[in-house]
Amino acid sequence: MDRTDDVLREYFAVRAPAGLDTRLRAALREEPRALEALIDRFHVEASERGVARLAYGRGRDVAAGRGRRHAEQARQELAEYLAGRRTFFTVPVDLAGVGEFQGRVLAAANRIPFGQVTSYSDLARRIGHPRAARAVGNALGANPVPVIVPCHRVIRGDGSWGHYAFGGALKTRLLELERTTPLLVGCASTRIVCRRGCAHEQRIGENGRVVFASVADAAGVGYRPCKVCKPQDAAA
Amino acid sequence: MDERTFTKHAEDYAGRLYAVAYRMLGNRADAEDAVQRALLKCFAARASYSPRWAVSTWLYRAVANVCIDELRRRKVRGENVTVDDVRVESAKISERLDLTRALDRVPREARMLIALHYVNGLGYRELAAIRGISVNTVKSQLARGKAILKQALQAGGHDGSD
Repeated sequence: MDRTDDVLREYFAVRAPAGLDTRLRAALREEPRALEALIDRFHVEASERGVARLAYGRGRDVAAGRGRRHAEQARQELAEYLAGRRTFFTVPVDLAGVGEFQGRVLAAANRIPFGQVTSYSDLARRIGHPRAARAVGNALGANPVPVIVPCHRVIRGDGSWGHYAFGGALKTRLLELERTTPLLVGCASTRIVCRRGCAHEQRIGENGRVVFASVADAAGVGYRPCKVCKPQDAAA
Repeated sequence: MDERTFTKHAEDYAGRLYAVAYRMLGNRADAEDAVQRALLKCFAARASYSPRWAVSTWLYRAVANVCIDELRRRKVRGENVTVDDVRVESAKISERLDLTRALDRVPREARMLIALHYVNGLGYRELAAIRGISVNTVKSQLARGKAILKQALQAGGHDGSD
C-alpha cells in the first residue's frame, strides 16, 4: 500500500450536499412520465415498400397486403422506442412520394445518431446547400414519417427547439427520452455488447445489463460487439 | 422488494452513490441527476431484484450505468463540463486539481472501478459483479488505471508515492 491509496481514499470521500435525501425521496414519489402510453395516439400508413406516413392524434392504421406487416413492425418498434427500450428503427420507410431535395434532407436527418442533435443550417451544409437552412426546415416540417426519420433531432442554431409537427412538448419529451436512454448495453453473462433495441439486447435480464460508453471500452474489458446489430457501425 | 425497504436502502446508499457520480461527472448537478435517475430505474425494477445480489451491487451498477452513458454523451458532443470548485484548505487545492486532471487521463472503465473501489472500499469480486467483468479484468484495469494516475501525477509535479 503506498501513499496514492491514501490520497485517493481522501479524494473520493465526497460529502453529499445538504438535502440530497429529501430531494431523492420526493423524486421517488413522483409519478414517472409515461411516454409509452402515447403509442395509441400514433397511426401508421404503410405500403408494400414500407411505412409511408406516421400521424399523431385521431385516426387508425392504414395498410393492405404486405403493408400490414410493415405497419405492425413500425408500431412494435415505436412502442419500444417510447418505452426507452429501442434506439434505432429497422422497419423500412417508403419515401416514394417525396421530392428529390426533401429525400436528401430526410436521408441526412436519418443519419443523426440517437441522442444527438444538430441544427438546420448544419444539416443544410451536410447536403451541400449551406444557404438552404430554411428550405431544410420546410422539408423536415413536411416529414411524412416523424420519429422514425428523426427530424426531432434537428433544432435551431440558437439552441431553441424550433417547429415540430407533433408539437413542441412532444419534441421536448422525445429529446429528454433520448437523453436518458443508454445506447450500448452489454450482457454480463454472454459478454456481448449490443445497441439498445437489438433482439439479443432485449433478451438480457434486468440484472445482467451493463452500459458502455463505446465499443472500444467494452472490448477493453472483454466484451465483443454483437454480430447482428453491429454496434461498432452505429456508435459515434 | 417492497417500497419501504427500497426507500430505506436508497437513503442508506445515497451519499456513496453521489460520491461515485460526483467524481465521475465532476459537478454536483450532474451527479445528483445521475443518482436520481439510477434510483428511479431501480425503483421501477424493484420487483425483478434478485436477493442473490447484494443491494449495494445492484445500486452501484445502476449508478455506474447512468454515469458511463452520460460520459458517452459528453464524448460525442465534445463538451467541456463545468467542474465545481473544490473548497478545501489551500494546501490541498493543487493536489486535488492535480488528481482531477490525472484521473481525466485514466480510461473510463478503469476510472469507474477506481471510483467504486476508493469511495466504498469495494473488493475485486463485487467490482467484477457491478461491471459484469471477470475478477482478473478488474485487477488488470485497476492496476493499469493506477499506473496511469501515478505517471500523470508525477508528470504534473505531484509525487504519488512515498
